[in-house]
Amino acid sequence: MATTKKRYALIIDLDRCIGCCGCEVSCKQENGVAVDVVWNKVREEGPHVNADAGRGVEHYFLPTVCQQCDEPQCVKVCPTGASYVREDGTVLVDREICIGCKYCMMACPYGVRSFNREMKVVEKCTLCVQLQAVGEPPACVKNCVAKARFFGDLGDKASEAAKALAAAGEENAHSLPDVGNRPRTRYILHAKTATWRS
Amino acid sequence: MKHAGLKRRDFLKATAIGGAAVALGGSAYVGLRRLTTAKAESETKVVKTNCRACIANCGVLAHVKDGRVVKLEGNPEYPMSRGALCAKGLSGIQALYHPNRNKYPMKRVGKRGENKWKRVSWGEALDEIAQKLMETRAKYGAETVFASTGGGGNPQFPSISRFCNAFGTPNWFEPGCAQCYLPRTVAFALMYGAPMGGQGSDTSIADSNCLEIYFPDDTPMKSLVLWGTAPSSNSPAGGGRALAELRARGVRTVAIDPRLTADAAKADVWLPIRPGTDPALMLAWVRYIIEHKLYDAEFVMKWTNLPFLVNPDDKMCLKAKDVGLGGDDRTYVVWDKKTNSARPMPFPWDDRLDPALEGAYTVAGKECKTGFQHLKERAEPFTLEKAGEICWLEPAKIEEAIKIYADRPSGCSLGVATDQNPSSAQSAMGVAVLELIMGNVERPGSLLQRFVSPPPVADVVDLRGLLTHEQLLKRLGAIEYKGLLQWWAAQPTAVLDAILTGKPYKPRVWIERSGNKMATLGNSSAWLPAIEQLDLIVHMYMYPTSFSAYADILLPATEWLETDLPVVSANMLFARQAVTHTYETMNETLFWSKLAKRCAALGHEGCQAACDPEKALGAAGPGGGDPSQKPASFPYWDTEEEFLDICMAKLGMTWKEFAAKAPFEFASYGEWKQYHVYKKLDAKTGRPRGFDTPSGKCEVYADAFVKLGRTGLPFAPAPMPPASRDYDPLPYYEEPFESPTGELGKRYPLVMTNGRLPYYHHTTLRNIPWLRSIYPVPEIWIHPSDAEKYGVAHEDWTWVESQRGKITARARVTEGIAKGVVYMERFWNPETLDTPTHGWREMNVNVLTKNDAPFNDVFGTYTLRAFLVKVSKADGPPKGVWYKPADFKPWLPDLGDATNPTRQVEV
Repeated sequence: MATTKKRYALIIDLDRCIGCCGCEVSCKQENGVAVDVVWNKVREEGPHVNADAGRGVEHYFLPTVCQQCDEPQCVKVCPTGASYVREDGTVLVDREICIGCKYCMMACPYGVRSFNREMKVVEKCTLCVQLQAVGEPPACVKNCVAKARFFGDLGDKASEAAKALAAAGEENAHSLPDVGNRPRTRYILHAKTATWRS
Repeated sequence: MKHAGLKRRDFLKATAIGGAAVALGGSAYVGLRRLTTAKAESETKVVKTNCRACIANCGVLAHVKDGRVVKLEGNPEYPMSRGALCAKGLSGIQALYHPNRNKYPMKRVGKRGENKWKRVSWGEALDEIAQKLMETRAKYGAETVFASTGGGGNPQFPSISRFCNAFGTPNWFEPGCAQCYLPRTVAFALMYGAPMGGQGSDTSIADSNCLEIYFPDDTPMKSLVLWGTAPSSNSPAGGGRALAELRARGVRTVAIDPRLTADAAKADVWLPIRPGTDPALMLAWVRYIIEHKLYDAEFVMKWTNLPFLVNPDDKMCLKAKDVGLGGDDRTYVVWDKKTNSARPMPFPWDDRLDPALEGAYTVAGKECKTGFQHLKERAEPFTLEKAGEICWLEPAKIEEAIKIYADRPSGCSLGVATDQNPSSAQSAMGVAVLELIMGNVERPGSLLQRFVSPPPVADVVDLRGLLTHEQLLKRLGAIEYKGLLQWWAAQPTAVLDAILTGKPYKPRVWIERSGNKMATLGNSSAWLPAIEQLDLIVHMYMYPTSFSAYADILLPATEWLETDLPVVSANMLFARQAVTHTYETMNETLFWSKLAKRCAALGHEGCQAACDPEKALGAAGPGGGDPSQKPASFPYWDTEEEFLDICMAKLGMTWKEFAAKAPFEFASYGEWKQYHVYKKLDAKTGRPRGFDTPSGKCEVYADAFVKLGRTGLPFAPAPMPPASRDYDPLPYYEEPFESPTGELGKRYPLVMTNGRLPYYHHTTLRNIPWLRSIYPVPEIWIHPSDAEKYGVAHEDWTWVESQRGKITARARVTEGIAKGVVYMERFWNPETLDTPTHGWREMNVNVLTKNDAPFNDVFGTYTLRAFLVKVSKADGPPKGVWYKPADFKPWLPDLGDATNPTRQVEV
């Protein structure tokens, strides 16, 4: 499995995210996710006491979702090929092939895969490929109230995602811990808002 | 394995929305929506409508297939939300097709509270209600019928007041009103001259004011104070979105809130104030601003009444003609420093005069201070240190916050927090004082604005002229709490006391049109003995709530996706359109009309007048919109379309035409956004327009409150007897009645506050699987030091007790709450509706709140926040309460044949 040229991903601006959970619900509506399953979960970091911060504490919301890794461990461990990398780099699950063994759920460092009890398969964020097919961004991006989510090919400088990342500057762009899987999803957070701790 | 390209099959598999998934899941999903995206677009109709999951009206694109709503998205045309929808709005689809909707009118067959019902027709229900109303009126007087409403769940507020006016009862109330927004609308009406319901009339973001914030690229705003408001919680897609944009552009913010809200977490300064002490902090800001001359000296001198001398006998600003100095009604007395004498100051200004702003001067033998002097003396005790001590804040942080506010253009948005305790009037006046002395008025970058008003199409108008003065004087609580007159409402506790004591008379019939009164009324248990004594209780709502369990007749109300009504946003008009219709739900504008018509047919002369074009005309009250544009009232209607066509008459089109073409701009953006309206010349007088107050100035020394307390003017149509004590023209501070520093604090050591969550509005939507799976049970936020002290750990089930009751919540141990303070949001549990608790006794913070005296002097506000509780560890969750996400599956949408868009309700 090699990395592809295209690197579609979400860029999430934590300076902007207000934790409204609209993305969670828009994801469930668009993708028919079961009520007890979450593909896109808004977590919180803090509040942590920081006397140096103007507000005395630091806090940010952290929407977690499939990180669209360049070296996806979930794909490596999948015994049937159900977890795969599409030509455009998007990591997906083919439900017709998935046998529900959950190896991928164990391999994922971020716990963002979930088990569909009705279909007995593993599922996760697809970056709304069905919407991309009709020229729309993922539902969470389109709906985001704070305009905190950007989607696009990180390899294309003109994409919304690449532009947002460039505007933020590398020092303000963060990733979840990388254990060799090379997550593509980046989080924008300026020190003025809070110290990155995730 | 190869995966070349994308085929339709791929994304069907990827998203699990084939027909098979629905068939397998049974209840897992709303329709075959995926196919509509994949197949030809023509199969799905996209209808523009507007949300009403809260009191904002965010633009929605509803995807409808075969009469069924299959998907909701934001409408990018809507200027305040720009295509975004929050979790509440997106849940409209689960609300619409909830299996437990009220589907048909129902009549109680078991004992009250037993929750046994039979289906009746609308005709039967309306006949029975009308007959009971008429009997009650004949036997006991119209005033013994009362109604109520509330802000949750698509309400049409003036409908209630209108019906009550026609029926001749002065009594309707809502748990909000004096506890939500009224204190602010009155303070800004009397001090800034704002028309009620005008855009920019006050500084509430949650109530769709502060329109300057929605155009972040066009505002020079430098700083914004969020005082007891969290737009990211109360209006995520509107105010929350706007704040995110402003912060991204460098606008500095201050959040004054005991709780670290999303907006507090992103503020430059967070002041976690002790609940109920806001006026002390406001007076400290005033003191600091005066001491450091940070106020707008020119605006204060020329456009406020602060230089005017005040008559020490009646506390009113001296009018020149009262002391023999001539002049008209807008000519007041100032002390002229040039001549060292009292001189008449005509409106707007006399350049020959050099008025003293501070000091006391002898006029006609009396020592008269200027309004400014009164304000300065009132604020004098409140040093930063003093405020820090009272409010549990660091003085240096207070100072930092004031300096940010002083970086103009700035604004101070006051939220609902201070409306929820007995300092409501004083807090609202405090922020009005601040905004006005800072000159944050009608400038680019200020919150208080008079942008061009929309045409008066968007509301039912009430019929205040049909309520006689004799009946008005019978309004429960209205003579003492005259601030209620602006909204024409009664005081909830006065209604409760009247039922329990029979004094001054016993209310007997209750028509309630909102959500769950048992979860919204303060000290809700206190209502149980009253409920038992009522002759008839009618509840109209979209689904049964705890309150329904005590009702005799249940009426099904339309969800917002089934409702038509014009909507105003900034310079545009939108159409909330009924996208579909389910079962026999009815819009309340039609329900009240049908009820009034039935009473008219039974001989009620007031209702007959309300159905008569000539008599209804001219009875219209000032509710809803700019009085200068007050629409002529119109008689009650027979159909929804008739009503909507009347709304649209001003625009010269029918509702159908309007809805098909909406949105419209009623003014171009540039014309609409007019600044400095007070400086515009009035063509008639040749003088500046000024402000719509008696003096034409901003009345920071608010003697209008004194007059209100003595007469009810300007809100009463004729003078009323005085309240037992004068209202104060300036804000003052009193320690909360339940004080942590007093005796009670030893037994109940923690101060309780409440506040919005982004997933719910008031007590709505607790039956929505998507939302309950995000926030299943109410959290109690507690500081780590308090948690340790009281033996509570993170996520523990926790008892919370006040003097009035005991409930359960789940602990969230967090640095995001002030020490000594705990936070909960209102809650009820629809899953236990059919048990003896009826879902309101387990986790409902309003079992703990306080609904008795002391009340706010102007509004009769009781205590929903800033009262004392104690916490302790509980063994587990209350019986029957759902808290695991899978628990909520029974509430997933009903895929039965609920929908018939063409069906009309036969009455």
